[in-house]
Amino acid sequence: MCGAVVAERQPSHTLVCLFLRGGADTLNMFVPYADDEYYRQRPTIGIAGPGKAGSDSALDLDGRYGLNPRMKQLFPAFDEGRLAVVQGVGSDNPSGSHFECQDQMEHGEDYGKTVGGGWLGRHLRSHLGSRATSLSAIAIGSTVPESLRGVPAASVLKSLEDLELKSRAPQPEAVAQILSRLYADDATILGRQGCETVQLLKRVREIRERKYIPEDATEYPDNNLAQGLKEVARLIKANVGLEVACIDYGGWDTHFFQGALSSFHGKKVEILANALAAFDRDLKTHRDRVTTVVMTEFGRRLYENASLGTDHGRGFSMMVLGGRVRGGMVHGPWPVVKNETSEGPGGLHISYDYRSVLGEILEGVSENADLDRVFPSVSLGRLGLIA
Amino acid sequence: MQKITRRNSLQCTALAGGALALAGCERSISLATRRLGQDIPGEVFVAESDDIDDIHHLLNRAAYGPWPGDISRVKSIGGSAWLDEQLRPESINDLACELRARRFESVFVKPGNAYEFKESVLREELSRHTLLRAIYSRKQLFEVMVGFWTDHLNIDLGKGDCIYFKPWDDLHVVRKHALGNFRDLIGASAKSSAMLVYLDGKENRKRKGTDDIPNENYARELMELHTMGVHGGYTQKDVTEAARCLTGWTIRPKKAFLDRGMVYFKPSHHDEGEKTILGKTIPPRKGKDGAADLDDLIDVLCRHPSTADYISTKLCRRFVGYQPPETLVARVAADFTESKGDIKTVLRTILSSDEFSQSKGQRFKRPFRYIVSTLRALGADTQAHKPLIEYINRLGQPLFSYPTPDGYPEDKMPWMGTLLWRWNFAFGAVNHEIPDVRIRLKKLGAAIGAPDEGTVAPEKMVAYLLGREATKNEMAAIADYQKQMKKAEKKADGQSKQRDELLAVLLASPAFQRC
Repeated sequence: MCGAVVAERQPSHTLVCLFLRGGADTLNMFVPYADDEYYRQRPTIGIAGPGKAGSDSALDLDGRYGLNPRMKQLFPAFDEGRLAVVQGVGSDNPSGSHFECQDQMEHGEDYGKTVGGGWLGRHLRSHLGSRATSLSAIAIGSTVPESLRGVPAASVLKSLEDLELKSRAPQPEAVAQILSRLYADDATILGRQGCETVQLLKRVREIRERKYIPEDATEYPDNNLAQGLKEVARLIKANVGLEVACIDYGGWDTHFFQGALSSFHGKKVEILANALAAFDRDLKTHRDRVTTVVMTEFGRRLYENASLGTDHGRGFSMMVLGGRVRGGMVHGPWPVVKNETSEGPGGLHISYDYRSVLGEILEGVSENADLDRVFPSVSLGRLGLIA
Repeated sequence: MQKITRRNSLQCTALAGGALALAGCERSISLATRRLGQDIPGEVFVAESDDIDDIHHLLNRAAYGPWPGDISRVKSIGGSAWLDEQLRPESINDLACELRARRFESVFVKPGNAYEFKESVLREELSRHTLLRAIYSRKQLFEVMVGFWTDHLNIDLGKGDCIYFKPWDDLHVVRKHALGNFRDLIGASAKSSAMLVYLDGKENRKRKGTDDIPNENYARELMELHTMGVHGGYTQKDVTEAARCLTGWTIRPKKAFLDRGMVYFKPSHHDEGEKTILGKTIPPRKGKDGAADLDDLIDVLCRHPSTADYISTKLCRRFVGYQPPETLVARVAADFTESKGDIKTVLRTILSSDEFSQSKGQRFKRPFRYIVSTLRALGADTQAHKPLIEYINRLGQPLFSYPTPDGYPEDKMPWMGTLLWRWNFAFGAVNHEIPDVRIRLKKLGAAIGAPDEGTVAPEKMVAYLLGREATKNEMAAIADYQKQMKKAEKKADGQSKQRDELLAVLLASPAFQRC
C-alpha cells in the first residue's frame, strides 16, 4: 500500500493574495487626516479625523493616518503589529484601464512588455518546480487567475467540497483504496505522486467531514469573501503543502456616489476588514505561516468628482498581514503632491513599484532564491516588511 | 481536402439562428459523423499478451491513442502500411473531422480580418479547432506533428497582437509544413506575423543614417530554440550577425489599407552591409535584394550539422523517450541531413526503429495527450466547448499560452502535479458529468465484450485500455474493489445501481498515464 512511501508534508508558508478588482479607493481606508488637502479635495466623501465626529471618526494609526472606522475590526491587527500598510504603491501603466492594469499587475510586468505568465506562476515554477502538487496553488472562485498563469498545477475551488475525487460510488473509500494500490505498485515517481495525491485527498476529506470550528471563537461573516478565506484557512491547517492562495473581491469601481461611511464603499470596506480580521483571528496559532497581501490594480483620485465618487487614479496602499510582518506602520512618504502630479490629475504619487513590494515579501517568506526570474530586473524593496 | 463542409455548416448555422438551434446543429453533426465512420464498432481489439501490443504502442505515440476499432484496422493492413498512409495525409478521407472542425470562422481568416473578431472568440475558436482535430482527425500523425511544431515554434496568444496573427500562423506555418520540409517550416515561421510579434522581429531594424541596434530576440531564439540548439556552437557574434540579416522585416500596421497584419520587407530598415555568420559570408545587398538575406540565413542555419542533431534529438525525445539512445539519434540525424530536412523521412526512421518498439510505456502523457487519448479510448462525442477547455487549462496546458519561447516542457516532471484533475476528468467523463462530453458505455462495453446485459469482464477492460493483459496485482486490486462495491450496493438496499466506475479507475491508473 501507499503508506510507507509518502512522507508527511512539512508545514509550508502560505502566501494569500487578495485582489480588489476595480481600482479600490484605498485613500478612504487609510485616511490621511493630517493633511488638509484631503478634506479640501473630498468635501463630501472625506472621513473625519480622530475625535472629530464621534464614532464616524477615523481611528488614529500613526499620527498621520487614520483607519476608516468601518474597518475597526482590523485595528487590533495593526495595533498588535501584524498589519503593515505601504502607501504609494503602483505600476507604470498610465492607461487607467481595469483590464490592462490588472493583467499587467498579475503578470508582474513593465507597461507594454511581456515577461511570460503570471508572477505567482513564475514563483511556483522556479520555487517548487516538479515538487508542486495539485494543492500547491489554489484559487477561490471558478477560474485560474492570470497571476497563476504558468503554474505547474493549480486547483480552482469555491470550497473544500470541490476538492474531492469526483467518484459517484456509494463507497468512495474503495476508490481511494484501489487507486492507492495501483499507484503503490508503480516503482517510479509517478507512483509516489499518485500515493501522495490519494493521501492529500484523504486529509482534505477528513477536514471536510469534521465540522470546522474556527479558532478563538471566530465567526466568519456570511459573504463570499469571508467564506472563501475560511476555506483557505481550513486548507492551511490541513497541511497539504499549500503555498499560494488567490482570492478576489470585486466591485470597487466607485465612480458614482461612493459615499464616506454609510454608502456602498463604506459597506465594502467593512466586509473587507471583517473578513480579514476573522481570517487573522482564526489563524491565531498559525500566523507565522501565513502572509496575506491585499492589492488593487490602481487607486483612485484624490478629488471627488461631480457625482460624489472618484475616478481612476494611480497610486494605492497595499496591505500586508501576517505573523511575520513588521506591522503597526504605514510605510512610505506622503503620496499627494499639492498641484500637478506626474501620475495624471489627482493620481496619488507612486513611490514603490508594486513588484518591489511583492518581491520583498516573497524574499522574506518563501525560500525562493530565484526571485530574479519572478520579477526580472526589478530591485526588491527595502522597507523591512518581513521580520 | 473536402470542400463542401464549411459552406454547408455555415448554411446550417445561418438557418438555425439561436443557441438552441445551434445545439441542434451540433447534434446533426454528431449524427452525421457517426454515419461517416466516427463510431464505435461492434467489436474492438482486446490484448491477449502481457507485453504491450505493438500497434497499441504505435498509436499511442504516432497518434493520440487508438479510437475504438483503430487497432483492428491497423492490424489488418500492418503497422508499416498504416505509417505509409499517415505519411500521405492528402490521401486520407477526413470528412467526419472536417464537419466538426471547419466551423470556426476566425480560424481561417487573414491577420487583417482577424482584427474584426473579439480576442475571446479567437482564443476559444483556435483552441476548440485544435482540440477537435486532435480527437477526431484520421490524419493522426499529422495532428501529432502539428502539436510538436506548435511547441517548437511556441507563440503565446497573450503577447501583443499575437492573438490576431496566430490563427494564420497555425494554418500557413505549422499545418502547412508539419509533414513537409524543415527548412520550409522555419522559413515560413520567420515570415509569420505572429512570430515577428512574439519574438520582436518587427522591432528589428537598422535605418539608414541612424545607429539603430538590431533587436536580437528572434535571431537568438531562431538559433537557440528553433534550429541549432543552445549548444549548437554559435557565438554571440553570430547572433548579432543573424539579427542584422533579419532587419527590415515588419508588419503592415492595423490602419493600412491593404494586407494589414501581413509581413513585408522594408528595404529602408534593412542593414545592407556584408554579414558573416557561422563562417559563411552573406554579400552586401541593396534595396529590395536585401530580402534574400533572410533566406540565406535560414539556409545556413538549417543546413548546419547541429540542427540535424538538435531536431533529431527533440523528435526522439517526443517519440521514443526522455533519454533517447545515441545510436538512434545519430541515425535520425544522418537521415535528416541526407534528406535535407524531410520530416516524413525522419519520422519513418524513428517509428520503424527497434529503439521505438522497445520503448513501450516509458513516456508520461502530458495533459493534452491524456485528455485526447481518454476521449478517443471512450469513442466520445464532444464539440470541445468550455467545460472541456477548462479541464485542459486546469491541468496546466492551456493551448497557445505557454509563457516562454521554449514551449511546453517535454519532460515528465513538470506535469507530475496534475493527477487529481486527471482523475476527476476520468470520473467526470465516465459518469456523464462533463457537459458536452457524451460517451456510450453500453456500446463500448459490448464492443469490448460484455455478455448480453452484463458488465464487461474487468480483465477485458484492462486489456482494451492498456493494450496488455492485467497484472496479478491489478486483478487483485480490482477484485477487492468490486467486492467492496457490491457490499456497498447491498447496504443501500440495492437502490443505487452499482456504479461501475472501474473504467474511470483504469483511466486514472498509472498505466494509462503512460504511453
